[in-house]
Amino acid sequence: MIRDFGIVWTERGLLLNGLANTAILSLVSVVGALLLGFVLTPALMSKKPAVSRAARAFVDGMRCIPFLLFAYIVYYGFPSIGINLDNWGAGLLALTLYNAAYMAEILRGAWMALPRDEIEAGVAFGFSELRLFRRIILPPLVLSAGPVIGNQLIQIIKDSAFLTIVALPELTHAASSIQSRYYVPFAAFITAVALYWGLCLIVEAGVNVLRQLADARR
Amino acid sequence: MSAGDIAAFAQGAVVTVTLSFAGILIGLPIGLSLALIRWANVPLAAWVVALYVSVLRATPLVTLLLLLFFALPNIGVPIDPYSAAILALVMNTSAFNCEIWRAALMNFPRDQYEAAQSVGMRAGQRFRRIVFPQILRNSLPALVNEMSLLIKVTPVLAVVGVVDITRAAVRIGAETYEPLPPFLVAVAIYAPIVFALVSLQRWIERRQVAAEAAA
Amino acid sequence: MTTSNPVLSVVGVSKSFGDNEVLSDVSFQVGKGETVCVLGPSGSGKSTLLRCINWLERPDVGQIHLNGEPVGVTSGGVVMNDRRLSRIRTRIGMVFQHFALWPHLTVLQNLMEAPVQVQRRSRAEIRDEALGLLAKVGLSDKRDAFPARLSGGQKQRVGIARALAMRPDLLLFDEPTSALDPELVGEVLVVMRDLAREGMTMVIVTHEMAFAREAATRVLFLDRGRVVETGAPDRFFSRPETERARQFLQRYAGEGASSERTR
Repeated sequence: MIRDFGIVWTERGLLLNGLANTAILSLVSVVGALLLGFVLTPALMSKKPAVSRAARAFVDGMRCIPFLLFAYIVYYGFPSIGINLDNWGAGLLALTLYNAAYMAEILRGAWMALPRDEIEAGVAFGFSELRLFRRIILPPLVLSAGPVIGNQLIQIIKDSAFLTIVALPELTHAASSIQSRYYVPFAAFITAVALYWGLCLIVEAGVNVLRQLADARR
Repeated sequence: MSAGDIAAFAQGAVVTVTLSFAGILIGLPIGLSLALIRWANVPLAAWVVALYVSVLRATPLVTLLLLLFFALPNIGVPIDPYSAAILALVMNTSAFNCEIWRAALMNFPRDQYEAAQSVGMRAGQRFRRIVFPQILRNSLPALVNEMSLLIKVTPVLAVVGVVDITRAAVRIGAETYEPLPPFLVAVAIYAPIVFALVSLQRWIERRQVAAEAAA
Repeated sequence: MTTSNPVLSVVGVSKSFGDNEVLSDVSFQVGKGETVCVLGPSGSGKSTLLRCINWLERPDVGQIHLNGEPVGVTSGGVVMNDRRLSRIRTRIGMVFQHFALWPHLTVLQNLMEAPVQVQRRSRAEIRDEALGLLAKVGLSDKRDAFPARLSGGQKQRVGIARALAMRPDLLLFDEPTSALDPELVGEVLVVMRDLAREGMTMVIVTHEMAFAREAATRVLFLDRGRVVETGAPDRFFSRPETERARQFLQRYAGEGASSERTR
């Protein structure tokens, strides 16, 4: 067993590369999903029925299909309607689109929970548009939605592992190839599990910081 | 799609539903047991459970599945794809269920429990008649949500050779060189099941809110 | 009643919410240094009138002028863009019934936020002024606290200081003590009375009859969206001219008397 871990250690470059790819995938997706979410949320709450219904259909649709299936559709199915993406492109697109739906719901919930009075005070004091959003709306929104978004980030990190199916060189894929080459399944996958765990602990630490900031102001 | 394809989908659907059911049914009581161990603060065991839950909630299902499927035979425990699938599903969902049950247990009003003690109820009775019905009611929406999440991760079981809906779709797509239609059929099978569970969850939540408002 | 160069001029303002006409042809003026108390039963449109002044609500018809400058609609009849509206709003301070302090900022930061971000004044200058205002309302020791840790009375005093930090031409108060526990009302009214004495131009929507009687230079009585009566507080409270005003004062006489007793 020690020998197995020794083999994994010699291949640590591959594993760390996989870890980096997982981190990059997750970070880019969470940012992209949040940005898309900021577009979707107002659409969800729009007074124009065409817009709100389309947004609602997208959000509910994404929440009803398995992510792996969606990734398959983007990677294998899209080419037949003319959209050809390599595994990185398909992976990023699938991860971002899928989680944008969840982010939209999270942001909508946080927005509805924001007290109206304080935003109105901002307007009364002359804040408008971008400045109102950046300094009066966004900070309380981040503090209240932060922990939930953090949980979604953990979900994204785990979903990224599914992309091993499309041969994306993320962490699980790296562990798989070490396993198949050297027949050290336990050492390889346990190490991967430990690395995933470490990533999640980092995210949870960040969420705890946000929680403390929010509690001081509650 | 030919009749054979439809049969393949039907077979895959049966496998998916069976494995999901097994995962859900076994995972629920195990999750509850884990939650009780933590809640009762059983020395050492509670700490082990906490570690187990923390790691499993951070581990992607596909990684866990590959670990079990390849590592267990390596240390002398032979395992077939379907058993590995159920084991992975159960380990994964029990960790999430543990946290759901535990949240309800921690929110359980202490004085109700003490009232039960003071009328002489034994521990087993206390749990069965006072604690369990209420934490079940409180946990129901989250538990149903976890069920829908479990169904949504079952496609990954194809990785170890389980012939479920997704694998059927992949195979048919590879044979017909038209990957999109079978995937859409797979979506058409999954989506109503998940949607039914999500609707059930919303219905339960609405009923509970109404019951509380009436109280 | 007209004054030359009024700070606030409201002419012919009407506002409906759907079928419900909340304000009907309301006109009045406020001169510099005046303290106008707007009184009336619930649903009389008092808050709506106040919120029309800084265009938090859009009047359906009517004109509003601040020191001669139009608010909301230009003299050409065009609705103002956000930027222009925001500039006018910085000259109208507002104190809210539920305080509306920004929860993510400390007390001092609450005072400094709008002057720095909207009026673009220098941080150092604002800081000194804000500290002075906090001392004035008696909350210097709370400057680094978050609003959630303050009592209602403290929050409202911060709200007043926050409005003052903008150096407004006019201060609007929307039922400033209605959300406070009775024992906290006094500390806020003291600050408001001092402001009135110092010559701040104020329009106050309130239910505090004793305060209105003592601090107002003029009283505006609103009922069902119309200005029913207006005049000096002494005369209004002792010899109201209209029946509606008489009924209103009778109903509130008990409450006014009891709040007198507790103070």
